[in-house]
Amino acid sequence: MKTRQMNFFGLFFGAGFGGILAAGTLHEYDTIHAMLRLDEFYVYGFMGSAIMVATAALWLFERKQTTTLTGEEIKLQRSKPQTHHIKGAVVFGSGWAIAGTCPAPALVMLASGGLLALIIIPGIFLGIHLASEKGGLEFGDGEHRQITSSFQN
Amino acid sequence: MDNQLIYAALLPERVSWFILGPLLGLLTAAFFLVMNQPLGASGAYTQTLNFLRRNGYRVIWRIWYFAGMVLGGVIVTQFLQDSRGFRSGYDAFRAASPLWLVIPLIFIGSVLIGYGAKVAGGCTSGHGICGVAQRSKSSIIATCSFMSSAIIVTGAIRLISGGNL
Repeated sequence: MKTRQMNFFGLFFGAGFGGILAAGTLHEYDTIHAMLRLDEFYVYGFMGSAIMVATAALWLFERKQTTTLTGEEIKLQRSKPQTHHIKGAVVFGSGWAIAGTCPAPALVMLASGGLLALIIIPGIFLGIHLASEKGGLEFGDGEHRQITSSFQN
Repeated sequence: MDNQLIYAALLPERVSWFILGPLLGLLTAAFFLVMNQPLGASGAYTQTLNFLRRNGYRVIWRIWYFAGMVLGGVIVTQFLQDSRGFRSGYDAFRAASPLWLVIPLIFIGSVLIGYGAKVAGGCTSGHGICGVAQRSKSSIIATCSFMSSAIIVTGAIRLISGGNL
C-alpha cells in the first residue's frame, strides 16, 4: 500500500476511534471514575462488547484465512506474558485511576474543549519518554506486534 | 447556553454502550482487514514523540492516526453533540478538591499512564481491546493487572478523600 493511502487510513480509523470514544463520553473523568468506583456498568459493557465482537471477527478471519485489502494474510500477533507486562500494567492502572483517562480518551478530552487535557497529554509523553530513557521497549501498543517490511516507511 | 437552544444535536449526550461497543469491535476488525495491525493508542503516542524529537522508530501513518483521534473527537463533541466550547473537565474531581491540588495530581497520574503503558507495551486499546481480541496471553494478563490496580487505587482514593471522590 502506498504511504499516502496508509496515512489516509490512519487518519480515518483514528477519527473513527476518537469519535466512538467521544460518543460514549469516555473522555470524561466522571465516566471513568464512576466505572472504576464500580458505580456504573456502562464502560464495562462498552469494552466487553467491543472485545467480544473483535474477538469473534478476528477468530473468523484467522479461521477463514482472510486476506487484507492488499492481499496480505491476516496475522494475529501474540506474545507470552512477562513480568514487564504486569509491572507496567499495574503502574498504568494506577495512573488511569488517578487521572481518570487513558491515552486515546485524553486526546478526545482535548478535542472536546476540556482544557485540563493540556496537563494530561504532555504528562503521558513525559511518562513514555522516561520509560524509553530506561531502555524500555521500542513500541507502545501490543508489542507482540511484528513489524513487516511493508510497514516500515 | 443561548446558541445551544437554536441547534439540535444529532447525537444524544451519551450513545448506548451496546451500540458503541460492537461498533468499536468492528472498527478493530476492519483495521486488521486494511492495515493488518492492532488499533492501539500508546504506540501512536510513542511514534508521535519520536517524530517530534526526530529520533527513533516512527511510522508516519501512526502520527496521522494520532491526529485522527483528535479529529474524531472534534467532529463528535463540537458538531454532533450538544457540548460545544471550552471547559476544564474533571467535574467530579474538581467538586471534591481545589484546582491547585487537581492539577499536580492528574499530572502525576498522566506520567504514570505514559510510563506504565510504555513498560507494559500497551494501554487500554492496545492490550485491553486489540490484544485480548487477538487472544494474546500477555494482553490478557496485562488487562487483568491494570483493571485490578485501577479499581484498587480508586478504592484507595475514595478512602483518602473520605468518600468525596
